[in-house]
Order: sequence, then C-alpha cells, then structure tokens
Amino acid sequence: MNVASLEWVTGLLAASAVFFFLNSVRQRQVCLAVFSVLFLMTQSVNGPGWLLLVAFLASGYAAGTALSRYPSQMLLTCYLIVLVAAFVIVKKYSFVGSLVPSSVLQPQIVLVGLSYMLFRQIHFVVDAQQGQIGTVSPWTYLNYQLNLFGLQAGPIQRYQDFAESFGQLTPVLEDRTAVLRTYLRLFLGVIKVLGLAAVCWWAYTKVMSGYSTSHGWRTGAQFLLLFYLFPAYLYFNFSGYCDIVIAGASLLGLRMPENFTHPFLSRNLAELWTRWHRTLGLWIRDYLFTPLFKALAERWPRSSKSLAFLAYFIAFAIAGLWHGSTWNFLVFGVLNGLGVAAAKVWEGLIIQRRGRAGLKQYLQSPRIALAARVATVHYFCFTLIFWSNDVTTSVMILKRVSNALIS
Amino acid sequence: MTRDQIRSQVEEVFREVFQDDALQLEEQMTAIDVEGWDSLTHVNLIIALEKRLAIKFAAAEISRLTEPGQNVGTLLDLVVRKRSKPA
Repeated sequence: MNVASLEWVTGLLAASAVFFFLNSVRQRQVCLAVFSVLFLMTQSVNGPGWLLLVAFLASGYAAGTALSRYPSQMLLTCYLIVLVAAFVIVKKYSFVGSLVPSSVLQPQIVLVGLSYMLFRQIHFVVDAQQGQIGTVSPWTYLNYQLNLFGLQAGPIQRYQDFAESFGQLTPVLEDRTAVLRTYLRLFLGVIKVLGLAAVCWWAYTKVMSGYSTSHGWRTGAQFLLLFYLFPAYLYFNFSGYCDIVIAGASLLGLRMPENFTHPFLSRNLAELWTRWHRTLGLWIRDYLFTPLFKALAERWPRSSKSLAFLAYFIAFAIAGLWHGSTWNFLVFGVLNGLGVAAAKVWEGLIIQRRGRAGLKQYLQSPRIALAARVATVHYFCFTLIFWSNDVTTSVMILKRVSNALIS
Repeated sequence: MTRDQIRSQVEEVFREVFQDDALQLEEQMTAIDVEGWDSLTHVNLIIALEKRLAIKFAAAEISRLTEPGQNVGTLLDLVVRKRSKPA
C-alpha cells in the first residue's frame, strides 16, 4: 500500500478520529502496533523476507540488550560486520557475485524498508553499546523498527526519540489550528506525490525515451529538461511522502523528525545534506563520518585536516552504496563526498586569504549567497544523473550533451 | 575533581585546540562565539577533551553537543557527569 493512496489516507483519518478515545497509553500502543503490522502485511514481503525480518529483529534486540548490559567493542564490531554482510548479500550488490558462491545469492528475498531498518539497527546497537539507551524494551524496540510511519522510506528516527513519544502517546497537536495545519500538510503531501511528482516523472520518462536519438539543439534542450525534471520528481515524491507520514504520525501522537527543510536554499553540499533527507545526512555524520574522522585524527593528529577529506569520501561512498546495489550509486556517493570536501576546501581558502572576519563578511554577502545556492543546487542535480541511471546511461547522457555543445 | 577544576582543564583544552591563549570560557558560549569552532574542530576538541580528562564521548553525545540550545555549559555538565562515572 502506498502512503498517498486513498485507502491509506482515509484509514489514517478514520483512525485519528477515534484513536484518543482509547483510555490508556497501552491501548493506544497496541492499536498503533496493529496498524503497523497490518500496514506491513500490505507491503511486498515474501516467505524468505518474513524469515529475514524475524532474524533481523531478534538479532537486533538481542545485540542491543547484550551490549547495553555488557558494553563490548568487539561484540559490537562483530555484530555490525555480520549485519552489513547479510545486508550486502540480501541486496545482491554488484560486487558480491565474485565474492560468494552463487547458491548463497539464489533465494529471492523481498522485504520492504530493509535499508531503513538497517540504519535504525546500527544506530540502536551503537547507542546501546555506548550507554545512550537505558533499558531496552522488546515492545518498544519492535514498534520502533516496524513503525508504519517510518517503515517504507524513513525518516530515520532515533530510538530514544521514538521511545519518548511512544511512551506517552498523548495528542501532540496543541490546538485546532495545529490540527488543521496537519491536515493541510497531509493533503499537500498527497498532491506532491500524486500530482507534481507524477507529472515530473511522466515528463522525465517521455524526454528520456527520445534523448538517445535526438540531435543538435534538441539534445541540449532535452538535457536541461532531464537535468531538472528528475530532481524535481525526487523532491516532490520524497518530501511529499515525508509530509504524509510526519503529519499522519502527529495525528496519532507520534513525533517524527523532519526530513526536508528547504534543501534548495543550501549554500553548499555539506549544508544540503542537513536539509535534504536530513535524517540520513545526520546519520551519516554521526555513525560514519565522525567516528571515522575521529579514529583517523587520533591516529594521525598532524594530518587531521587532510584526513577529513578522506573521511568525507568514504562516508559518502558508503552512503551512496546504501541507496542501491549498482555502481552508479557509488559514483553518486563519491560525487557528493567530493562536493562536501570542495566546500570545506573553499572555506579554508577564504579563511587563509581573508581571515575568519573575512569569512563572516563573505557569508553575509547576498550576491555570494545567491551564487552559492545556485551552484549547490546545480551540482546536486548533476550528481543525481548517476542516481537515476546506471553508469553507462549516465555517461551516454553527458557525452551526448557535451558533443552537442561542441558541434 | 570539582566542577571548577574541570572547567579550568576544559578551558586549557579549548585554548590549545583553538590556538587562543586569551580564550575565556563562559557557560553561555556556543560555537558561534569561538573563532574556528566548526564541525571538524569540534571533533578535534572532543579528542583533546577525551585525552586530557580520560573520558569517552558517545557518538550521540558528540552530535548532540552541536544542536541548538547546547553551549559550553552543557558541555561542562556532560564532562562533569562523565568524570564522576569514568568510562
């Protein structure tokens, strides 16, 4: 079931109308759990997928409980290696074929939302090991992982935030205006997904189908359409989905983190990843970049500045691969790592030439802010060419437009 | 170790990391008030604090310290809590 579907929206509105008539928090929790299970049952999950889900949840809870009681770095590392290796095999990553026997890759495992569950699981066990999660309750953990408002595509909520919200389940919309605003957000989300994103996608596929045979100025014009249409589609589709689930969750007393905060106003790529799919950007920062950079800087303190760039590349390359199992996602990640590193180099150059006061002045200039925003959006749109197409097609798109520009 | 003693040690670490011998810590200070306190120097600051005070910050704590509403005072509170319960 799609969250923008009529069934989902009407079901949600009907549920929200009666939800708070349930007397106790426990009754509301049970009701929410039933909704989550029903929602999961409407999703694409096959037999092996259900088995994998059980193993995934059981291992996550067991590891989290064990690590919060006996914080062991070795146990955490072993669990993370097994978890990520299993994910890579289940997702059939391109490079896995040469590493494992083909019999291992035979079973077709279909399980919706596995990528997002993985991120939540890694955060959960790391925080448990580091003493950031108090008592782990199996009930809260299961609801956290299977929460219908984050199951399909995030936002990637932190366990502590979910547990706090789930433990209270009281109305979070303070007055009538807030409720009306939430309904508005819900319907705007539906319009984004079913209207704006659908139109952008239709136009994108239409242009894409004729692109490989176009000539002359048409190639340039079609390239421009492709260049803007796919990011527009992705933005409307994903931010619309987030509007629906965040609004829907708040109608049932759950607070979900924001995932899009005006990403196209970002001045550089580092800022963009705190505005576009921001829960992923913050996850990358907290569980990939910072630990990696910290480990490198501790080992080689004198080279810490240059090692930060290496950490950006590795963190974004891994994040890119998480998006999909083919090489184009690695290119997407590396290009984003390059963009973040370039932003840091640029900032460093300004400080070197004009000092910190000069940087402040530079950042306050409206003209520079506009130029930085335009450059950031366009670079991000460029990286998305590799997100939407395999490497061969992406190279073909770029080759054709560069040939058309030269001739 | 008292809070004042911890505060003076933290201040020394700040001076070393941000290379400013005149830096005076105040509880309400945030990253904006300290020249050069960005995401990378934040990690360097954490590493230096861990070494000097023999404590360990969790990944979630490192990022939480950069969130709105956090300041030198909340950092000091966290360090004091950690010193009272060594890692």
